[in-house]
Amino acid sequence: MTTATPAAGDRPRRGGYALSGVALRGVVCAVPGAPVPNAVIAETLGDQAVADVVKMIGVETRHWSAPDQTTADLCHTAAQRLLERLDWTPDSVDALIFVTQTPDHPLPASACILHGRLGLATDCQAFDVNLGCSGYVYGLWLAASLIQSGCRRVLLLAGETMSRLVDPSDRGTAVLFGDAGSASAIEHDPDAPLMRFRLGSDGSGANALMVPQGGFRPVDPDRAFTLDPSRLHMDGGEVFTFTLREIPKLVADTLADAGVAGETVDAYLLHQANRFMLRHIGKKIGATEPERLPVNIDRYGNTSSATLPLLLADDMAQRLTSGSETLMLVGFGVGLSWGAVLAKFGPLACAEVISA
Amino acid sequence: MQNLYAGLAEIFEIDASDVTADTVLAEHNWDSLAIVSTIALVDEICGELLDGAALAQCVTAADIVALLPQAKAA
Repeated sequence: MTTATPAAGDRPRRGGYALSGVALRGVVCAVPGAPVPNAVIAETLGDQAVADVVKMIGVETRHWSAPDQTTADLCHTAAQRLLERLDWTPDSVDALIFVTQTPDHPLPASACILHGRLGLATDCQAFDVNLGCSGYVYGLWLAASLIQSGCRRVLLLAGETMSRLVDPSDRGTAVLFGDAGSASAIEHDPDAPLMRFRLGSDGSGANALMVPQGGFRPVDPDRAFTLDPSRLHMDGGEVFTFTLREIPKLVADTLADAGVAGETVDAYLLHQANRFMLRHIGKKIGATEPERLPVNIDRYGNTSSATLPLLLADDMAQRLTSGSETLMLVGFGVGLSWGAVLAKFGPLACAEVISA
Repeated sequence: MQNLYAGLAEIFEIDASDVTADTVLAEHNWDSLAIVSTIALVDEICGELLDGAALAQCVTAADIVALLPQAKAA
């Protein structure tokens, strides 16, 4: 239960939620193929253009999926390993949530396809969620809410093949993004510590990150595109300003909900948007050392909803499998949309990154 | 102001003494990366978030100074 709420009118202000009885058991991430170095992109964009961008965003390598390899494939590989490691039988899973903007088809939901491939039970619900950089926190919130409404075990799959969405001639995005899939196991546990969530959106900024073509709204014939309209359009300055405006406030509000000081947080896991932005926000929230602000964008790039599970399964793996840590996970981006969760996580039964 | 000029010098990768009110931004690759860096710089110096579009319109370093809150108040 959250808090005692005798009547709707007595509910606390919306935006912050506390959920109990929910435990994260394990996280597996799957990345496709070998790391792709910047030199490969420099062949198209030129050495100087790539060097200028890299200095700011800090990406040295990323992974790109093969032409016939989708986000669902990456998440399927991760989920199979996770189920094995946790010794969860497929028929013990009550719900599958798939967070992605790169599904296999316009319909059906890729979650249903994954449900079939994983051999889950027919009384297991499965659905897609179309969110990006904030998606993992939203996924955890949904999983926790499903647990509170009666589910025992939930599989949260989150990932993206951004390499299919970027225009290779756009230096702002071609260097920044990478591909990855993740699988997280969430289970009912009456003894689990409270998870505190804060979620928000600002639809007036929807144009700041958009693929204009490919949905069902015709593309504005008067709009002049410098990039292929079926590829990602990102207004970097707009996204950066939004992040600086909302994220320090989100972190402060989430701490205030819990009534704790920032120093009690063992590590802040921030969506790996770009290195410059991470360092700047880190300074603003008082987390600068690598133990409290892990950064792996140098190795994986910005993988959208997979950046937070990659931090859990890679940088935090040792700490989370050997003990527990008070973490704040913060996602923000396309939508515009953001979310934070503050909780004590671990010990996890497994946290690892595998090849797909 | 000196903090701002020192920060701009770092962004432009030139000597701090070479940044003055008359420094022409276009001569120092005044692109989206430089603008984002400047937003962060001004946020650090005075906790103000400048508008990227307004920064893109700036021609000289003095134009950036004019966007700062103290300058507006004066």
